[in-house]
Amino acid sequence: MHESSGPVVVVRGLRVRFGEVEAVAGIDLTAYAGQATALLGRNGAGKSTTMRVLAGVLPPTEGAALVAGHDLRTHSLAARQATGYCPDVGGLVPRATPWEHLQLAARLRRLDDWEDRGRDLLERFELGDVAHRVTAGFSHGMGRRLSVVLAALHRPAVLLLDEPFDGVDPVGVEATLEVVADARADGACVLVSTHLRELAVEACSTALVLRGGSEVAQLSAAEMAGEEGARAYRSLLD
Amino acid sequence: MPTAASSTEALARSVADVGHLVRFRATRSGGRSARRAWVVLAALTLAALVVPLYLPGARTGARAFDVLLILPTAMAGVLLLATVAAVTTGGGRELLPREQAVAYPVSPTTDHLGALLLAPLNIAWLLQAWVLVGCTSYALGWQICLSAQPGILLWLVVATAAAQAAAWLVEGVRRYRHGIAVVRGTGLVLVGGAVAIQLTAGWGALVDRMPTVWLTVGLIGGFSWRWALTVVVELALVLVLVAIGAAAAHWADRRMPRDELRTETGTFVARPTPRTDLVLLVRLDWSSVWRTVPMRRGLATLAVAPGLMALAAQLPWTTIPVLAALSTAGGALLFGVNAWCLDGRGALWRASLPVGPEVVFAARSLVLGAMLLGASGVTIGLAALTAAAPTSAELAAVVATWLVVGLQVVSASMRWSGRHPYAVDLRSARATPAPPVAMVGYSARLAVSTTLTASFFSALAHLPDPRTSIAFALPFLCWSGLRLVRAQHRWCDPVLRARVIATVAA
Repeated sequence: MHESSGPVVVVRGLRVRFGEVEAVAGIDLTAYAGQATALLGRNGAGKSTTMRVLAGVLPPTEGAALVAGHDLRTHSLAARQATGYCPDVGGLVPRATPWEHLQLAARLRRLDDWEDRGRDLLERFELGDVAHRVTAGFSHGMGRRLSVVLAALHRPAVLLLDEPFDGVDPVGVEATLEVVADARADGACVLVSTHLRELAVEACSTALVLRGGSEVAQLSAAEMAGEEGARAYRSLLD
Repeated sequence: MPTAASSTEALARSVADVGHLVRFRATRSGGRSARRAWVVLAALTLAALVVPLYLPGARTGARAFDVLLILPTAMAGVLLLATVAAVTTGGGRELLPREQAVAYPVSPTTDHLGALLLAPLNIAWLLQAWVLVGCTSYALGWQICLSAQPGILLWLVVATAAAQAAAWLVEGVRRYRHGIAVVRGTGLVLVGGAVAIQLTAGWGALVDRMPTVWLTVGLIGGFSWRWALTVVVELALVLVLVAIGAAAAHWADRRMPRDELRTETGTFVARPTPRTDLVLLVRLDWSSVWRTVPMRRGLATLAVAPGLMALAAQLPWTTIPVLAALSTAGGALLFGVNAWCLDGRGALWRASLPVGPEVVFAARSLVLGAMLLGASGVTIGLAALTAAAPTSAELAAVVATWLVVGLQVVSASMRWSGRHPYAVDLRSARATPAPPVAMVGYSARLAVSTTLTASFFSALAHLPDPRTSIAFALPFLCWSGLRLVRAQHRWCDPVLRARVIATVAA
């Protein structure tokens, strides 16, 4: 843990409401540089909504959220500059190529000399051959892999991966785990939302378990590992 | 043998399935706005039927006789435009979008019947139907109308069924190897033929020999044996054409949609990164438009088809603004009325990028505006080829209409896109940016507003001073510009923007 370096993501009393539905009902979260935190929970637990708030896509209804020192309510643009986000659904413009996605991400973040890293990431995720084809023809797994590449391109201070392993083949899973490890080594704060406990344990140091839009437990990866961890996790879901 | 019985059963099942799908779509369409759209549609149809009966010179005037003479041509025009629309959309509109239909056993016959049902829900079909019905009322008056209008309405069904059958046949050919080239080549030959007829002044003889003359003669004589025979022929045509369409739909369904696959598997050469965010966003949005099969086909058709018709009819400059306005309105229905759907599920990722929402809004508006002005510009250019040299007042009126209607439609589209977003996948050539009922509402509103604006400027073209059109264009432009700025402010509200993004990315 790098708690001495100070928190990079701070969430206090976060609530998100869609009309009558309360998707997030008061979550507190602190995440640090060089640390990877897993958000675990059943469908509708509020994981993706929390990630969308942290990505600056969705404004919180109540509560405070600081990302890389920027208040998401007042400095959403600066926060988005510091984050890399892999959304839970799709995440790709259907009729743009992977290269055009990278070009857009790089241009808007004022990156110079990004091409080599872009090519390297595409190769690592075995997307080099399809770099100039539109993403509408991609399989679900290819789309997921490209979303991780886009999130990681600019070596963000905060890496937000929402269901990055969903439908991804073993090569893609391995490459994603490498991206998470590299980001942690670079001092980034990583948040991974997933249903897959075993992969969460492998990728992250801590796990936050959500239920019904609220936090029910915060555990270390070690506590979530193995059959004991599976039982503990299962008991937290009901 | 059960073949006949099973065919009947299959047909009955398909008809029942269409009912289920219509109810399914109806439950997902906005209640109040959908009702409002149907009321507007019904009111306009009633007005098209009744108002011409009370116009000066109806039935008795020389102009009414002229209108009667062009009825067969107008009927053929309906068939032609319905065919172009159905062929462009690769088999007509979908009652259930393809990506949703995969989970259900929807047969090609159901798909075909659904497309037939949805065919009238587009601006070109509606306008033509209103014009044809209105011309019939004006030319024949109350008494004859009672017998003629059912036959005219039946003709609309015949034309739609024929267009749908032709569309499936063309789509079937398109899905074969070299099919796209064959279809494009055939299209060029047909256009070349039309130009040749135009140059040899042979349209008159062709029009006189069209079967629609026989139908018109049968319908205008009041209730008689000839009238009954005409109606029976029309009914038989409907049944035969619907059956041919169903068979063609099954034939086309057995093959992959080659045009869409070509876009999805093709390679697009990377271009250097531009200097500004806006240029890159515009480029990305433009690529999204141009690489989408329904938009590419729709744009080409909207730009060229009205222009060719104007070219053939040698329309005067005072009529060209109305044609250009319709082209602009039709362009907005390709994606503009739900402009944010262009990003599809990539909307979430795009929203996480560090760029101001006002830049994103500006890029999308510019692309939409360029697309609409480009299409209507081609229409005007083609129409101008055979029109006499315009007076300065006519030229000013055309330019004013082009700009005013362009901005008017962009402004309306961006407002509607922010208020009523829909999650749609524009992958299929048959996709529309909003559900059918919403499309009816958009079509009707755009048709009315743009036609009124264009008619106003058409009237100004008769005035001697060209400055009149320019002077009237300014307040129109300011008003539309103001409404566009308001739509931008709305888009910049993070809560409203999040709602739009979450909807289109769902």
